[in-house]
Amino acid sequence: MTIEYRNIRNKLFKGIVIILTVICTLPLLLVLYRITKEGISAINWDFFVNLPKPVGEKGGGIANALVGSGLIILMASVFAIPLGISIGIYLSEFKKTKLAYFTLLSVDVLQGIPSIVIGIIIYLWVVKTMGHFSAVSGSIALSMMMLPAIIKSTEETLKLIPDTLKEASLSLGVPYYRTILKVILPAGITGILSGVILSVARVAGETAPLLFTAFGNPFMNTNITKPMSSLPSIIFNYAISPYEDWHKLAWGASFMLIAIILVLNIITKIAQRKWRVQF
Amino acid sequence: MTHLDTELQILKSETISMWELVILQMRKTREAFLQLDKDLAREVIMNEKRVNSYELKIDRDCEHIFALFNPVAVDLRFVLAVLKTNNNLERTGDIAEGIAKFIINAGEPFDQNLLKSARVIEMFDVGIEMLSDVLNAFENEDTALARSVFKKDENLDEINVKANSVVGNYIANNIDRIDESLYILSTIRKLERVGDQAKNIAEEIIFYIEAKVLKHRSQP
Amino acid sequence: MAGTILKAKNFNAFFGQNQVLKNINLDIMRNDVVAVMGPSGCGKTTFIRCINRMHELTPDATAEGEILVDDKNVYKMNLIVLRRKIGMVFQRPNPFPTMSIYQNAIAGYLLNGIKLTKSKKDEVVETSLKRVALWDEVKDSLHKKGTFLSGGQQQRLCIARAISLNPEILLLDEPTSALDPISTSKIEELIYELKKNYTIIIVTHNMQQAGRISDKTAFFYLGEVLEYNVTKEIFTNPKHEKTQNYITGHFG
Repeated sequence: MTIEYRNIRNKLFKGIVIILTVICTLPLLLVLYRITKEGISAINWDFFVNLPKPVGEKGGGIANALVGSGLIILMASVFAIPLGISIGIYLSEFKKTKLAYFTLLSVDVLQGIPSIVIGIIIYLWVVKTMGHFSAVSGSIALSMMMLPAIIKSTEETLKLIPDTLKEASLSLGVPYYRTILKVILPAGITGILSGVILSVARVAGETAPLLFTAFGNPFMNTNITKPMSSLPSIIFNYAISPYEDWHKLAWGASFMLIAIILVLNIITKIAQRKWRVQF
Repeated sequence: MTHLDTELQILKSETISMWELVILQMRKTREAFLQLDKDLAREVIMNEKRVNSYELKIDRDCEHIFALFNPVAVDLRFVLAVLKTNNNLERTGDIAEGIAKFIINAGEPFDQNLLKSARVIEMFDVGIEMLSDVLNAFENEDTALARSVFKKDENLDEINVKANSVVGNYIANNIDRIDESLYILSTIRKLERVGDQAKNIAEEIIFYIEAKVLKHRSQP
Repeated sequence: MAGTILKAKNFNAFFGQNQVLKNINLDIMRNDVVAVMGPSGCGKTTFIRCINRMHELTPDATAEGEILVDDKNVYKMNLIVLRRKIGMVFQRPNPFPTMSIYQNAIAGYLLNGIKLTKSKKDEVVETSLKRVALWDEVKDSLHKKGTFLSGGQQQRLCIARAISLNPEILLLDEPTSALDPISTSKIEELIYELKKNYTIIIVTHNMQQAGRISDKTAFFYLGEVLEYNVTKEIFTNPKHEKTQNYITGHFG
């Protein structure tokens, strides 16, 4: 084999890798382009403040869906974050116990359960029990979807924190629980927070579990025990409707959703850079 | 000041104490020699034990500094110089003791005329002066002062060389005082050695401060 | 104040089935600097980690026998009281990364939830940082993060953190192994100063370091104390052949 031949092979390989990478990014760019193009024209003041209007009336908005999505996700976070972080701490602190092993296994399985299945389960457990659709059941479904990401990111982050930090604290006579709360958690806060934000971004677009639980509501509703509208469900309902106006609103809502997810991702990146904890 | 500096400082002050003791021994020997004061001579012999214990102590301290601190560069040269100086000082102490023994064994006071013509007291004075000079040079790290003792040593050598004929003539004229004359000649020989010890110490001081080896050279 | 501060009696330590310390008997005098020396894996670090019971943090780690601090068995003492009595400094400098220099210096109080007035805090910070000769270097940047300092400064900060609680014994686990020579000599000078107020037990791989700073040296070999004596003696006239081989570098 000559040197030239090897050099050519090298370049060829590099070229293929670059082409494949571009091919992978292309769909994303196309999707973004299409949604932006269609959605941006739907965005105006009315879009944010008005409720959906009957077919044919101009100036309908998605105010109820924005408020609904916000409330549902907020509630889901309230359920999932303390639980997820606690489990994450347990997993990283007692990694060798049997319970930790099974928990980790369950978390992996939970992560793999399709969202529609979670929707059905919550439908059976909560909606059936309550007797009607409700925002809170949607939040429970979403919190179940958030849990694995939060647990995993907490565990991974805490694993990277050097043991010497914990030992330093313990050697000062600091009790174990205070060590965890005051030393370990603050040191890992960036990683944990970015896990939380990413999990929020992930469930913000979930549609299937919400269809069975929060259901949707054409009116403004802030009562969490009643059905509530949300961005994904409004997109779903409007997109499959036969009306041009509603299609427009669906594009706008899609654009909003993507924009929110994008912003959350950017916030995570900035937070990671800015609050990076150096050991 | 680092830990090693502290240790070196202690070593230095110990060496100086020993040095002062040795100079004192030489002074007392000179007095005893002049007056044929046998009690004073005995005191010198007693005190030689103190010189010896100083030597042991300084040897051990040097050993510890080598073992525990691994000194380098000027610190290393300092400890080496102290180790050798220690040896030279101990020898000087032995010389004082030796002369003190002559004094005890001698029968009657030495003939002052012979002492004057053989320049014995002058030798005592020069020897003690050299020891004091190198001590000052050591304390103040003064190499110029250390170098000045080489000149004085030549003076001692000269007296030593001339002493043969002076004492020889004396014996020819005073056959009955042979013992006394030989004691004086031996004392002169010993005092000449004091000069050599001081000169060696001066060389060590120059080695430690300037890192120059002056040993075995004709002209420093 | 003189007298024995720490006494190990027939002390054994294990990792699972593996015995790492065998029948240790050691008396340590107040205000002494004791160097713990020996080849890797001889149980040096385990020994000092048993003194403040950090050993038991490792799963499967057990110990038997007694270690007495001020005549009280550490295994019968309240863990929190014990660890406030015995400060520890680790191999790598480990200031708390989320805390400022100021907070690190009084971390023992902050983390334990001990309330101090502002002036008392300032006082503790200043005295601890002065004791470790760090005050002049950091007094204008007290509110920067502890990790902003150089390695040697960080290690001195960690020592300040340990002594701010006024312990009686200071355990140092190879405190200079991650530092450059200049920082190392600063820490060594510091240890020489600190022995006026504390009893110091230092694990070190560096023989010269043991020689320079310690009053007594314990030579550990395969989990046993082969020789424990005044450092000068160990370095000039070791009694045991293994000790001699180790300190002369003819090991193996």
